[in-house]
Amino acid sequence: MNNMMSVLFAAGQESKLNELTLHRTTASLPFGGRYRLIDFTLSNIVNSGITQVGIIARSNYQSLMDHIRQGRDWDLNRKNSGIYVFPPFVYNSSKEVYKGKIEAIYSILSFILWSKEEYVLISNCNVAANIDIEKYYDLHIKNGAVITMLCYKGMTTSSSRIVIEKDADDKIVDIYETEYAGTEEKSVSLNMYIIKKDILINLVQKAYARGLVDLEKDILFKLVNEGKVCAYDVPEYAAIVDDVKTYYQESMNLLKYDVRKSLFGKEDRKIYTKVKDSVPTVYGEHAKVSNSLIADGCLIDGVVENSILFRSVHIAKGAVVKNSIVMEKGIVGENSSLQYAITDKDVEISADRNISGFITYPIVIVKGKKV
Amino acid sequence: MLSRRKECVAMLLAGGQGTRLGALTEETAKPAVPFGAKYRIIDFPISNTVNSGIDTIGVLTQYKPFELNQYIGNGQPWDLDRINGGAFILPPYQRGKTGEWYKGTANAIYQNISFIDSYDPDYVLILSGDHIYKMDYSKMLDKHKENKADCTIAVRNVPIEEASRFGIMNTRGNNEIFEFEEKPEKPKSTKASMGIYIFSWGKLRQYLIQDEENKNSSNDFGKNIIPMMLKDKQKLYAYEFDSYWKDVGTISSLWEANMDILNADSGINLNDKKWKIYSRNMAEPPQFVGDDAEVVHAMISEGCYVNGKVTNSIIYHGSTIEKGAEIKDSIIMSNTMIGANARISHAIIGWDCEVGENSVIGAPQKAPINGEWQIAVVGPKIKLERNSVLKEGEMLGGKINE
Repeated sequence: MNNMMSVLFAAGQESKLNELTLHRTTASLPFGGRYRLIDFTLSNIVNSGITQVGIIARSNYQSLMDHIRQGRDWDLNRKNSGIYVFPPFVYNSSKEVYKGKIEAIYSILSFILWSKEEYVLISNCNVAANIDIEKYYDLHIKNGAVITMLCYKGMTTSSSRIVIEKDADDKIVDIYETEYAGTEEKSVSLNMYIIKKDILINLVQKAYARGLVDLEKDILFKLVNEGKVCAYDVPEYAAIVDDVKTYYQESMNLLKYDVRKSLFGKEDRKIYTKVKDSVPTVYGEHAKVSNSLIADGCLIDGVVENSILFRSVHIAKGAVVKNSIVMEKGIVGENSSLQYAITDKDVEISADRNISGFITYPIVIVKGKKV
Repeated sequence: MLSRRKECVAMLLAGGQGTRLGALTEETAKPAVPFGAKYRIIDFPISNTVNSGIDTIGVLTQYKPFELNQYIGNGQPWDLDRINGGAFILPPYQRGKTGEWYKGTANAIYQNISFIDSYDPDYVLILSGDHIYKMDYSKMLDKHKENKADCTIAVRNVPIEEASRFGIMNTRGNNEIFEFEEKPEKPKSTKASMGIYIFSWGKLRQYLIQDEENKNSSNDFGKNIIPMMLKDKQKLYAYEFDSYWKDVGTISSLWEANMDILNADSGINLNDKKWKIYSRNMAEPPQFVGDDAEVVHAMISEGCYVNGKVTNSIIYHGSTIEKGAEIKDSIIMSNTMIGANARISHAIIGWDCEVGENSVIGAPQKAPINGEWQIAVVGPKIKLERNSVLKEGEMLGGKINE
């Protein structure tokens, strides 16, 4: 598909991801054993044939830059088009970084203008899903809407999510933001929008001139009121990560076969990530592993149950890891136990430690700390 | 001159057919045979070359080159996609009126003289794609320069009773070679050639041309070039290497070398941050180990689903081990499915295979017979129905030509 470019927002959910985004932006949050959250969005984009990608960073984007580099791992190191990371643009007149998505898009208007594509995909980077975006581009051309929105059938949570209701023609009739954890499935926004480039530029310029900042409330909601927005629920599994609780729950959901199948089961739509040339994982004499997702480069000689181990994690003899997420290069020492915990990169749990959170409140251990 | 000059250019002889690997090399050149859960044999010499600071490598292909060409590609996984230098696949080609296959190892280099000349190197490193080892060639090159040698040959000490199976270098105290004997009946030395040579390019160039003029020559380094140079009293030195090195030319040795990486004492450590072995990566998700799995003393790669019992075994990427299956002392190559309750012992199962439920492949063994393990081999892309049986030492999908 050569007629759609994409603009991604790397930041967004930092305030609710607490320690997990202390040193990084939401897009570069490690997820699923060997990925960063942005890998899913980027892979969807690449697998749908989009080759022009702009990523707008806001703060703490060093880890993102290190992850993306020239985009080679997603085949985006192209001569024509490719990947562009935009650090925040600070105008001479103000010392502030942009306040909302409208200002952010305004700051890269020249990039959007000179891109040859006629349509734009706008997306956050906090959804792990394997979605065929091309399909929704085709639907957008057909439905005649100003904006086509991607949603999925799911629950609202205590973190703010946008919910829509639509009519039989997929036209949105109601849209609102909620922080209420509901009990029935709704059409929840994935914060992915397809829009014609000219229209986007026009809308953003007008909104910017009037001091508006919020893409959703100041532009999208108004268009919904005018009956100009369509929405589709994607049939695939979609994990929205917007706070520590959803991060933990969605990580644990990866232990379900159907979820893994929906995310990783498509031969022609793989999820790509930065290649690290780790060795395969080695299981020692005392290893006892069950129901766990394990990345390359690990050395496991202890007990691992219902857990996710990222690359190059070391679980020593006698250690017990249950219902936990151990990020890259984590070490769990001899006879230590870890339960309902999320240990960030380079965390070392010394021997004979006992760490336990609770299923509804997993304990987070900050990057690089030694316990 | 097209290229900036290089001090040393590596030439990797990757045309070997590997007939003793039978089914595994039926459709694949030996250097492309998988090794160690995610690698291929050729990853070792290429990674060694790059880690030694040599950034220009010609890969000479001949037998079933397609898979190898595809695997090497532009050399990017080894950081060899360079503006100046990098990885080059060098198949035999038509030159003017003539054109022929690579007749021997030396002829393969002879046919690529102009490639090497274009980098105007001082030295040429000759490698083969048959061995598993980690070696810093820059140290060998330093020795070569220090000795002001015309040729330096890497050797390793083998037990004297095995020496008659190798090309043996007889040396003086300072490691200068005075005689070379191919598979001597009564070996005088235990220094076996590892098939790794550094030549001063000017000298080698001259001998390659001279050798090509001799119509009776087999155009082989061991048989022709080295003896010719010794006869002419050129300066040849042995370079002793005593770390892990294994020829994986036979099914038994390929199996053993795979098992060695599970054994911390074997001397091959793949998890070495300072000497990484690079390979083309497959974008597979992390492996999943199920509720009914028992995995002990094993190496498992990405994209696997393991729900059976795996002991002392190597599972390559994308494979599935169903519930109740028992894999012991075996190698399961990539994207292979082992059905429920299958029992696999002392076996190599190729890539893209399916082993049906309740099948029994191979049999447990305590020790090799006459130095050879009786490994059962299922060749690549073979689908075995349920309840299939393959006895120890048997091979499906190809045969071994000695």
